[in-house]
Amino acid sequence: MNFMWDNLFRRTDQGQEVFEALRQTFVFQTLSKKELRFVQDTVHVRGFKAGEAVFRQGEVGVGMYILLRGSLDIFVDHPVEEELPPRSHLVTRLKGGDFLGELSLVENNSRRTATAIAAEDSILIGFFKPDLLEILERQPATGVKILFRLSEVLGRRLKETTVKVTELKEEVRRMSERV
Amino acid sequence: MRSTVSQRTLKRVNRWKLVALLSLLGGCFLIILSVENLLLSSLIAFVVSYTFGPGVNFLERHGTSRTLGTLILFALGGGMMLLFFWGIAPYLGETLLRLKDDMPRFIEGVSRFISELESRVQGIAGPLANIDLTSRVETVLTTNTSRFFEGLPSYLKTFITVMLLGPFLAFFMVKDGRTMMRTVLGLVPNHLFETALSMLSQINTQIGQFVRARLLESIIVGLVTSAGLFMISFPYAVLLGITAGVTNLIPYLGPIIGAVPAFLIATVNQYSSLDIALVATVYIVAQLIDAGFLIPLLVAKIVDLHPVTVIIVMIIGAQVLGILGMIISIPVASTMKVVVSTLYRHMIDTRT
Repeated sequence: MNFMWDNLFRRTDQGQEVFEALRQTFVFQTLSKKELRFVQDTVHVRGFKAGEAVFRQGEVGVGMYILLRGSLDIFVDHPVEEELPPRSHLVTRLKGGDFLGELSLVENNSRRTATAIAAEDSILIGFFKPDLLEILERQPATGVKILFRLSEVLGRRLKETTVKVTELKEEVRRMSERV
Repeated sequence: MRSTVSQRTLKRVNRWKLVALLSLLGGCFLIILSVENLLLSSLIAFVVSYTFGPGVNFLERHGTSRTLGTLILFALGGGMMLLFFWGIAPYLGETLLRLKDDMPRFIEGVSRFISELESRVQGIAGPLANIDLTSRVETVLTTNTSRFFEGLPSYLKTFITVMLLGPFLAFFMVKDGRTMMRTVLGLVPNHLFETALSMLSQINTQIGQFVRARLLESIIVGLVTSAGLFMISFPYAVLLGITAGVTNLIPYLGPIIGAVPAFLIATVNQYSSLDIALVATVYIVAQLIDAGFLIPLLVAKIVDLHPVTVIIVMIIGAQVLGILGMIISIPVASTMKVVVSTLYRHMIDTRT
């Protein structure tokens, strides 16, 4: 009997946890409580075992993940030689509250640019393109708010990339001058 | 907690999850096939839910809750159906009774027509063409007609069951379809989840557009045929219009099958050549509107299947489920096409 009640309350707890995680995620921060509940009914909560891949580099992705519990290791494959398999390089470790893969929400046939592997047993919230399209179809105002925040994230990423490219170009110029 | 699961264990667990999911889906499919009237009711439910879905979404966009929106649309749709049947039932009943009385005359007329044709063929080909079609056709027609009218109460029972069960299932499909889909998707192994979600979304969009387009096309063809036959004062105009609308759902062959009854009636009643030409004009105009406007505007590009594929899947559909099979063969084939192409792309992606 206790076991049954435990499960019942655990589910409700997880619902609240998902709600809180969504509320704190940048993409959904401008949504009202009602809108957040609607998004909560749209997203998918998925459990991953330690060592299990969430997605792999080069695969077609259809959406983003928010890390609810656990941690994820992000690897990028670097080609070594033509005939040898690429070498994986750990880029970062994501913790609860972090999100990844948001570019796939807006890009058509988007390929994953890195591999995400669960570093421990983890729970992730998946929010995918069909879910976003459904929100836009059923509650366009909510969808527009999400898209606006999403474009802010993408704009910020673009800015960071531009700064890095400029720095690298400068570095290359300096190196070529030295040579 | 931190112990990493081996890839081999993961693969085994995922394989079992997939087997369990496929068994569950297969079991549901078998139940639908084996329970009387459930297949037809489910198909009606799909058609109704795909037709009403956008309407419920529209109401939801304007602030109505999904449950209330579904209730409003189903009440409106149900009311309109009731009004339609209430208005048309006496006419349909009277037409069917008239058809029952006229049937022996039609059979006699068809037999006479075939007999004349036979004697002409014999006149050209001699005793070689001694095939005695008349008595065989007469027997087949008499048996099938009496079987149809004897079975009419049971067809009516099936019709009422399907018309009650179909919309009942459709109501929950519109209201809770998304939750049901999420529950099923919850059983998909992680490595296939995004592929399955993307695939289902594509199938849903494609089938939804196809069902709505074909339904509208069918209604317009039926209305044009009915109106045309009514204008030339041809008997059974509404019944023939409904037949033309329904058979129009069968690609290529449907329009011909739909026109046959009208030409039979005209031939048996010994209509003049001008009258037969007028009947032909009505059907040709309906088909010109269909081919010239409705198909290019509504249907083309939704289901991108090669004509040869269409013919092959239609033959398979007809073999398995008869006329119903011919009607549903195209959406089933396009679903299979999406499934195969998505899975193929997934396999290529995971290999490279």
